[in-house]
Amino acid sequence: MNRSIAPNYSQPESLAIQFPEEIELANGVQLFWTKDVKDDSVKLDIEWRAGSKYQSKKLVANFTNKLMLSGNEDRPASAIASEIDYYGGYLQHELDRDHAGIVLYGLRENISDVFRIVTEAFSAASFPQKQFEKERTVASMSFKIESKKVKNLCQRRFNKAIFGKESVYGQSAVEEDFTAVEQEDLKTFYKEVYQQGTPTLFLVGNVTESFIEQLKKWAENFSPKTINYTPNAPEQEKGRIANIEVEDAIQSAIRVGRLMFKKTHPDYFGFQLLNTVLGGYFGSRLMANIREDKGYTYGIGSDMAVMEDAAYFLISTEVGIDVREQTIQEIFNEIERLQTELISEEELLKVKNYLLGDFLRHADGPIAMMENFKNIHFNLLPKTYYSDFIQAIHNTTAAELQNLAIKYLQRDDLTVVTAG
Amino acid sequence: MINYEEFKLDNGLKVIFHQDKTTPLAVLNILYDVGAKDEEESRTGFAHLFEHLMFGGSKNIPNFDTPLQMAGGECNAFTSNDITNYYNTLPAQNIETAFWLESDRMLELAFTPKSLEVQRGVVIEEFKQRYLNQPYGDVWLNFRPLVYKNHPYKWATIGKEIAHIENATMEDVKGFFFKHYSPQNAVMVVGGNLELQQVKDLAEKWFGPIPAREKYVRNIPAEPEQTEARELVIERDVPSKAFYMAFRMGNRTSADHFIGDLCSDIIAGSKSSRLYNRLIVEEKKFTSISAYITGSLEEGLFIISGHLNQETTFEDAQAAIWEELDNLEGSLMDAKELTKVKNKHKTSKVFSEQSLLNRVMNIAFYENMGKLSEINNVLENYDRITAEDIQDFSKRIFARNKQSVLKVNIKK
Repeated sequence: MNRSIAPNYSQPESLAIQFPEEIELANGVQLFWTKDVKDDSVKLDIEWRAGSKYQSKKLVANFTNKLMLSGNEDRPASAIASEIDYYGGYLQHELDRDHAGIVLYGLRENISDVFRIVTEAFSAASFPQKQFEKERTVASMSFKIESKKVKNLCQRRFNKAIFGKESVYGQSAVEEDFTAVEQEDLKTFYKEVYQQGTPTLFLVGNVTESFIEQLKKWAENFSPKTINYTPNAPEQEKGRIANIEVEDAIQSAIRVGRLMFKKTHPDYFGFQLLNTVLGGYFGSRLMANIREDKGYTYGIGSDMAVMEDAAYFLISTEVGIDVREQTIQEIFNEIERLQTELISEEELLKVKNYLLGDFLRHADGPIAMMENFKNIHFNLLPKTYYSDFIQAIHNTTAAELQNLAIKYLQRDDLTVVTAG
Repeated sequence: MINYEEFKLDNGLKVIFHQDKTTPLAVLNILYDVGAKDEEESRTGFAHLFEHLMFGGSKNIPNFDTPLQMAGGECNAFTSNDITNYYNTLPAQNIETAFWLESDRMLELAFTPKSLEVQRGVVIEEFKQRYLNQPYGDVWLNFRPLVYKNHPYKWATIGKEIAHIENATMEDVKGFFFKHYSPQNAVMVVGGNLELQQVKDLAEKWFGPIPAREKYVRNIPAEPEQTEARELVIERDVPSKAFYMAFRMGNRTSADHFIGDLCSDIIAGSKSSRLYNRLIVEEKKFTSISAYITGSLEEGLFIISGHLNQETTFEDAQAAIWEELDNLEGSLMDAKELTKVKNKHKTSKVFSEQSLLNRVMNIAFYENMGKLSEINNVLENYDRITAEDIQDFSKRIFARNKQSVLKVNIKK
């Protein structure tokens, strides 16, 4: 047996995404349901258009989301939490810039009770003073701790630079915001964005029809109103931004990036492939050079983040203070190499095969499939999105990737932020 | 219910197959029975550094990742004080690539000086990123030697100090490999959309020819019973005071493991737990609180830790925690509270078993403990626990003369 010869392999076939059944519950509240689940697990995602971009004062979206099941004067948060626990339920609060909501995890036998407790608490929420004060103390301490980390200082400054001052996407909280937020702000936000909003439900579980009826009943409570929201166009501050000095830091955080396009853009698939070559997986060029050749960092990667009103490309790492400038230089060297040299056929094939395998890993099981569907749903993508993506991976050539690198990764178009 | 079939190769390698026909994927996981506890005190951090070197090429294959990625696969690894675990996930039809790669590095590493030099640098940056350049990052580097006096759990997986990693030589690397990375010292678990015969054939083909090596026999100093309260105060540039309390308890295979786990949930496992409500919501003495067990294979710990509110003194904090611990010892908890924490385990078990990788790793972990036949009895182990068991556990474990406490004070 010759161990230096690799066994045969074949390119991973694509996996058909299972689309959930769509059910109109009431008042425009939609349910997406995947029933074909082989175990007793049930996961229910309830999402509102209640992300931080809808707040008129910083932290309000966050606090409201965290406290919306914290009860009222008669029924304290601890009693609600106890009951959810008693039925074996798990509850997760979720918030990003666009959306916010809650995720319930339970079993077929108890999901109906868990949902009942959660929705009763939701209807009765009064944001009691004691809970509000607790959240203020807890959140502000956790903010102070996070603010000691160079990666967070760097990311906040990067967000500000990439989106500009006018865009809500670029804002980060400062310590004073924790004292400025008031109980009344939460009540108002809750009423306008949650109670008068239109939640979307994503359900993965082999539940009974009576549970679906229970969801319908709940949806009847909503009286949706349209939210007034106009996004400000982001405005990127390009070039190198002064280092954020952090006393006693022994590593520097680095962020390099730019504004990008949405997932419906014709260059999106190609750019994702280019991103993978540059920094999107363990074998990427940035990892190979800056970690595996130079040993400057524990990790470096690149990614693209797409939100409702803006998108960006980002390279991020943390490196020893003494090699910060060398690292930035190497990042630009790698970008330049993509612009001046064709990617070899072998490397391109490796990246394509890796990505095809990654699609399989991210579509394994009904919960993962629902996450793929949510991506399609929220980004308003065609149902053929994943098969189109896979087709594009097969078709893209090295020359096309070189052109994309020239088109989108010009040094002058990039913002560079460092901290530490 | 996790299904499995076991067999063993002549060289001593244990192989377990877990079939799942519903996934297009397969996982190959190899657990080596070596962790930071097998290091010498003057050369710590080695098991973990070695894990990095395992990706630096083997005898016949210059690079581990490239062929795996070519076959659509992905891999990673982790090291703990007890074990080192490597895993590969790939499309099921390409599973042979993982057999080929993993068998070659079990056969022999390439031992290139470049790989050693670079990975020393990478690990030193990891040390800085995770343990030094983070608020509270070095807590466990300081806490372990307070809790453990003899046992090698007294140092962290990353190592006692950066110098140990800097000083690692190629000779050390080779010695470590031949001592610990033998077929007899490993468990291989293969899971996914495959057939038993296929797995047997591939295991025999790729791992069969690897020679058995001298079996490493572990001889670790026992940790004597703790009979006096211990305390260490450190000062750091941090935003809030932090408090860590440890009690020694049984190991992962003892009955105490399950009782301790439930007990930690009752104390601070969720927003309905005793300490959360009292200390964060009602009295506002803490801004975060948690309780958990380490689940180590030897000499486990029960940990309670939290961040203090600005006005709270360490004395206050400690007294408040003791009050709750005394309550657990003093009176039986009611049935509903106990059912609550048991029910949560039921739910989390179903979700954790959805992932093929989790199931495969779990099998490897149980086999390494010598407890594979108990892998499907986990819920029964929790279910049989009574309020009396919790009380008895509390009486045995939470004693003032057996506590170790670390306080992180704010540097002025």
